[in-house]
Amino acid sequence: MWSIALQTLVADRGKLLTALVGVVFSIVLVNVQGGLFLGFINKAGLLADCGEADVWVGHKNMYNVDFPQDIPRRWVDRVRAIPGVKRAEPYIIGTTNTTLPSGGFELVVVVGVDPESLLGNAWNVVEGRPESILKPDGVIVDEYDLPKLEYPKMGEVREVGGRRARVVGLSHGIKSFLVTPYVFTTYERAATYLGKPPSVCSYYLVQLQPGADADDVCAGIRRQVPELDAFPRHVYSRISAKYWLTRSGLGISFGAATVIGLFVGLVMVAQTLYALVLDRLTEFGTLKAIGATERQIYSILFLQATIMALVGSLIGLALAAAIQHFYSTPIALILIPSWLSLGSCALVLVICLIASLLPYLRIRKIDPVMVLQ
Amino acid sequence: MTAERHAHNHDSEHLAIYAQDVHKVYRRGVTRAPVLRGVDLAVERGRCVYLAGPSGSGKTTLLSILGCILTPDEGRVRLFDQDITTLDETGRIALRRNRIGFVFQRFHLIRGLTALGNVCVPLVLRGAKPKAAHQRGMVLLEAVGLADKAHEHPRNLSTGQCQRVALARALVGDPDLVLADEPTASLDAENGQEVMGLLRRLTTQEGKTAVVVTHDQRIFHFADHLFRLENGRIIEAEGPQKSNLQVLPITSQVLPTTSQVAAASSQVVATTGDS
Repeated sequence: MWSIALQTLVADRGKLLTALVGVVFSIVLVNVQGGLFLGFINKAGLLADCGEADVWVGHKNMYNVDFPQDIPRRWVDRVRAIPGVKRAEPYIIGTTNTTLPSGGFELVVVVGVDPESLLGNAWNVVEGRPESILKPDGVIVDEYDLPKLEYPKMGEVREVGGRRARVVGLSHGIKSFLVTPYVFTTYERAATYLGKPPSVCSYYLVQLQPGADADDVCAGIRRQVPELDAFPRHVYSRISAKYWLTRSGLGISFGAATVIGLFVGLVMVAQTLYALVLDRLTEFGTLKAIGATERQIYSILFLQATIMALVGSLIGLALAAAIQHFYSTPIALILIPSWLSLGSCALVLVICLIASLLPYLRIRKIDPVMVLQ
Repeated sequence: MTAERHAHNHDSEHLAIYAQDVHKVYRRGVTRAPVLRGVDLAVERGRCVYLAGPSGSGKTTLLSILGCILTPDEGRVRLFDQDITTLDETGRIALRRNRIGFVFQRFHLIRGLTALGNVCVPLVLRGAKPKAAHQRGMVLLEAVGLADKAHEHPRNLSTGQCQRVALARALVGDPDLVLADEPTASLDAENGQEVMGLLRRLTTQEGKTAVVVTHDQRIFHFADHLFRLENGRIIEAEGPQKSNLQVLPITSQVLPTTSQVAAASSQVVATTGDS
């Protein structure tokens, strides 16, 4: 059956190409659109995902990394006392304005880290060093935010929250979910930029002792300090992503585009398979006349749909990988994990098989007597 | 010779086809178009018989019934040892696949397959292994003189060659019965003679029974017997067509009365049932 299915499919190259275009279109759309979505939503928990903290501790029912509430700094000692906690340091995040040379202002997210441990500091520092923030007025910004900040040079002085700030380092790819640039500096300096008293902070970043279980430590923190909440970093990252998904309609818009893409792919595959069958009604009638069973007839369509799905998926994945390679940047990050690639292939295969049912229903109606008329 | 005498004289084991009082009516809405009006037909194994007659006489419908593609509204049809009128769809498909080879007027080759691929289709449908199917297919292509065209697609073959491929396809599964529907209608005289000569030679060599529907008088001489149909009945039976072939009075008498057929039927059915 493989040979009949394959040879009859390849014989009509025009229609085969049309179907493959449909499959490739679906695969590329799902992977690139999905990859963009994942890249975008990945930024929502970027600080949690890429920082060095194992556990994030913040206000009760904390919901977004970038939108913390103030908590008393002094409670950090209560957290340090929890079994399994190796280190806990205060961390502050808040928004303020920075001045621009043109006379304008730009909203920035100031991130203040403990100056001793530098826990939660900028990573991927490509100019300067991470510890450069310890220099007087030192701040690190991201090179992708330079246009928004009107291209400050290394050592150039700006005002952040009405205070002096000197650019002492550039990171690569630390882009916030919001369009506001991150500005990394020391905890105390960040507090002055944000106009907050030194007695408050946003989070306690916790590093665990070797072998300690993050969930157990979180439970211990909640038990000992019931005014606080605590989550392992990837959990808090997901909570932050969920915040944007549920409150912004982002998932719906990306999802709708992907579903439309899949639908278009489905229609193209179904239409092509149907056209292939319509062109070959007599051939299917002949097969029936000479003794092909319904199952054998469907197996031909099944195999053809599978071939189209597999070949189209491979081409589509290669194209999506090429698009990711050439067009993915920290601004428009395209993340294509293997589960997305495999999932899209499985989805397209299912769609192709569903699409093959339509022509099969047409073939079922063929009376083999047609070949004798 | 009456059908009754025929039934007595010919053991059912020797019969490839025995059709009794076969009726078929096509219905379209309230319109009824009787196509077969009580056909009786008996064909001995290994014989080549022709069904001839004007358009609408019912010969293709009769062929379709013999090929288990249509079922009669009335009457009984036995192919070899099986009453095909009692078979369900699965049984009819299995019979077509395993015991019948078809040759169609318009060849009905599958465009996407090579000549060899087309010839092998019946074997593929039976689940044969590709290598074995190809070997057997090549034997048949050699037999029809197209071994050198095995890897050509139908679009690159002449009409005569296409019909020879179709003939090879019909025979590749070693069927007991070959049914051909106007096999020379799409061919010129020379190709028609060639294809019919091949069909006759190959079926005779292998002891196959063949039923050929045709208008083409130029090929009548290939038949052992010729049945003429008109208005859904066999009105005339001729045979033998070739002097070196044994005479077999295998039809019921020309235009038997309904009562004669009915009387014969009961005995023939009983005889074949015992066999």
